[in-house]
Amino acid sequence: MITRQIGSAVAIAALILAVAAGLRFAESVGMIGADGATRTMQVLIGLILAAYANFMPKQIGRARSSPQAESVAQAALRVGGWSLTLAGLAYAGLWAFAPLPVADIASMIVVAAALVLSLGYALWSFTTCRSARDAAAGR
Amino acid sequence: MNKVFKALADPTRRRVLELLRRRPMTAGELSEHFAVSKPTMSAHFNVLREAGLIDAGKQGTTITYRLRLSVLEDALLGFSQALGIGLGRAGPADEAAPELTKGTTS
Repeated sequence: MITRQIGSAVAIAALILAVAAGLRFAESVGMIGADGATRTMQVLIGLILAAYANFMPKQIGRARSSPQAESVAQAALRVGGWSLTLAGLAYAGLWAFAPLPVADIASMIVVAAALVLSLGYALWSFTTCRSARDAAAGR
Repeated sequence: MNKVFKALADPTRRRVLELLRRRPMTAGELSEHFAVSKPTMSAHFNVLREAGLIDAGKQGTTITYRLRLSVLEDALLGFSQALGIGLGRAGPADEAAPELTKGTTS
């Protein structure tokens, strides 16, 4: 399982490097402009982010100690997966269609907002879960 | 992906996924929500497990199911629920899993 995950990660890394080299070559021979190469690379990065985040809610790991902890972890993975997938698609869409100065800033904001949302929701839900558990235990 | 479409085509299985979205549940807890026999429910669980949409953990004699949906599968579930795919069928089983009709007592 881990070998397969590492294998696919290496394959994606090789794809990124190959596309970057191909774009560099196409740019050097005048087939595409510098803007086109940048946009293509950034769109690819956005789509890879979306593809990785798509599988995030499937990584449920081992069973937790309580059903409440399980549902909190499940919800956190779901929120993280959805927000980062949509952010990846928005990132790709911005780099594909928006003017470059807009895409440069907006794409960063979109991904940063998705990260903050994912981590913030996970922290909030785990804190709430722990507080409820402590309250139930009378601590 | 074909297994995922087959699994999501049945309203009973979609309802199972909706229930698991709240929290992990045992096979018995899930079965209480449906007026069908345990063998039929067990076959539904197998279809969902084979499609990779749920995860089954065994503790003693109890099997606990957990949701295991990717974002795309989650979106497909939402679409099929919204469109009511498979609601016109006579029973809980469908053509996608004809084996479910065998041995049912409901």
